[in-house]
Amino acid sequence: MTILRLAETTVPGRLESVSLDVPRGSLVGLVGPNGSGKSTLLQVAAGILPPSECVSWEGRPLGGIPMLERGRCAAWVPQEALFEFGFSVRSVVAQGRFANGDDGRGVDEALAALDLTGLAARPVNRLSGGERARVLLARALVTGAPLQLWDEPLAALDPRHALEVVVLARGLAGRGSTVVFSLHDLRVAHRLDLVAVLHERRLRAFGPPAEILSPSLLLEVFGVRAHEAPGLNLELP
Amino acid sequence: MMRADRISRAALPALSILLVVLVAAALGSGDMHLSPFQVWEGLLRRDPLDATIVWQIRLPRVLVGMMVGGALSASGLVMQAFFRNSLASPGLLGVGSGGAAGAVVAIALGWASSSLWFLPLAAIVGAFGATSAVLMLARRGASGERLLLAGVALNALLAAVTSYVLSEFTGPYERNAQILFWLLGGLEDRTWEHVAIALPILAAAACLWPLGRPMDLLSLGAREAQSLGVDVRRLRRVLLALATVLTALATAVAGSVGFVGLIVPHILRLAVGPDHRRLVPLTLVGGAAFVLACDIVGRAAGGLRLGIITSLVGAPFFLWFLRRLP
Repeated sequence: MTILRLAETTVPGRLESVSLDVPRGSLVGLVGPNGSGKSTLLQVAAGILPPSECVSWEGRPLGGIPMLERGRCAAWVPQEALFEFGFSVRSVVAQGRFANGDDGRGVDEALAALDLTGLAARPVNRLSGGERARVLLARALVTGAPLQLWDEPLAALDPRHALEVVVLARGLAGRGSTVVFSLHDLRVAHRLDLVAVLHERRLRAFGPPAEILSPSLLLEVFGVRAHEAPGLNLELP
Repeated sequence: MMRADRISRAALPALSILLVVLVAAALGSGDMHLSPFQVWEGLLRRDPLDATIVWQIRLPRVLVGMMVGGALSASGLVMQAFFRNSLASPGLLGVGSGGAAGAVVAIALGWASSSLWFLPLAAIVGAFGATSAVLMLARRGASGERLLLAGVALNALLAAVTSYVLSEFTGPYERNAQILFWLLGGLEDRTWEHVAIALPILAAAACLWPLGRPMDLLSLGAREAQSLGVDVRRLRRVLLALATVLTALATAVAGSVGFVGLIVPHILRLAVGPDHRRLVPLTLVGGAAFVLACDIVGRAAGGLRLGIITSLVGAPFFLWFLRRLP
């Protein structure tokens, strides 16, 4: 069952004719060099950037889904956020329940899942970049949306929190949600269910990483030579 | 945290009580001092002289002042959420300078003296004209920076129009004085007609009331808000329309009154936090109280113009408040 479908999606100058079917319950990595269109693709998929007529969620064309309902279907996390106003961490995370009548459900669990319980009362405009990124992830998590679209969620995180977020995403996928996120670490990408490779605004390849991330593709797309070798491997204790 | 929560809970009742006290003080003070008892007698029309003073002279002035204060503050709050910047003020998109230009031209051409309605109407036409021009010039997406730049340009243009009229127009002395008076803002000689012109402010305030929550989300990012289920395009349109109506009407009945829209929401946000569901009612009441207090001070100081007092009282108070922050 396809939860997210992009059909021949073109955003002038940023994305060219991308078609993509993401199966429900999968953990999908979006990789590609800088400027290849990863953020644009995620924003179009989230319904934030036009064209919305190329996008459908669970078989429903995006244009036919009312705004409020969209907030319950999909959650999008921006690459970075600057907060002008000093809302507390807890109140920003609670905003994720806007489309659910601000019922406040799951806020404590989301705070705990992103290791923010101790920061709950802090104003968000006094957080570090990595802490802000975790607040945005917690807000996306608390929506309970079955489609999670995260733009480089690991970029600002320390190794421990980055691993926790990957484990969290794996858990979400295991419970039937779908997580699509962009990343640059190809070693992490190698451990996901599916990988989409963007190159020069086009979808170059999409499939299981073991098949897709071949040395020849990595050389062509990223200009790096790949080989397996013993090195530093990190995992949660 | 507990303390901040208690402050924010007590803020609305406290400001409301302050507003009632200020209304009583404003109704009692003036050329002829009235005791609270006399004000009461006048309000109930038990004493003909007190009734005339209260109903014909002071009540319209107080009502106009309250509506102007609430409108400018709420409009400032909306602009600050809209532009995600706590330094935004109601005048950013040319509403105030458009109103000023309209009024100044109307006075200079002598239209203003023909009817009481004419001056406010000219100001309203100027205000809406200016904001529509900014929106049209900025067009595409009408978002952030482009709107601001268009607003800056139009503000400069309209200020030049006003200055041109002031410098080139050699009309009768009274008209020049009238222009200057208008540009400094004031509540002198306000009548029930002015109250009627300002009345839609209450409707706009009522429309703003339920928008506090979506404003919270918008103030942390438009795209983020949209992904959480806010219809951002519609919300932005509604907010801009409300802010424009509020500022245009306030400018129409009281002239240019500066600084209120910047500091009242700012101070209240520092005091109770950024939750717009709290801030919308607080800015309406707080703004009304602030302008009434400034008007009382101005009258006690021998008739200083309101626009002078709001800055003269507001700026030091703001600086003192900033210094007290942790």
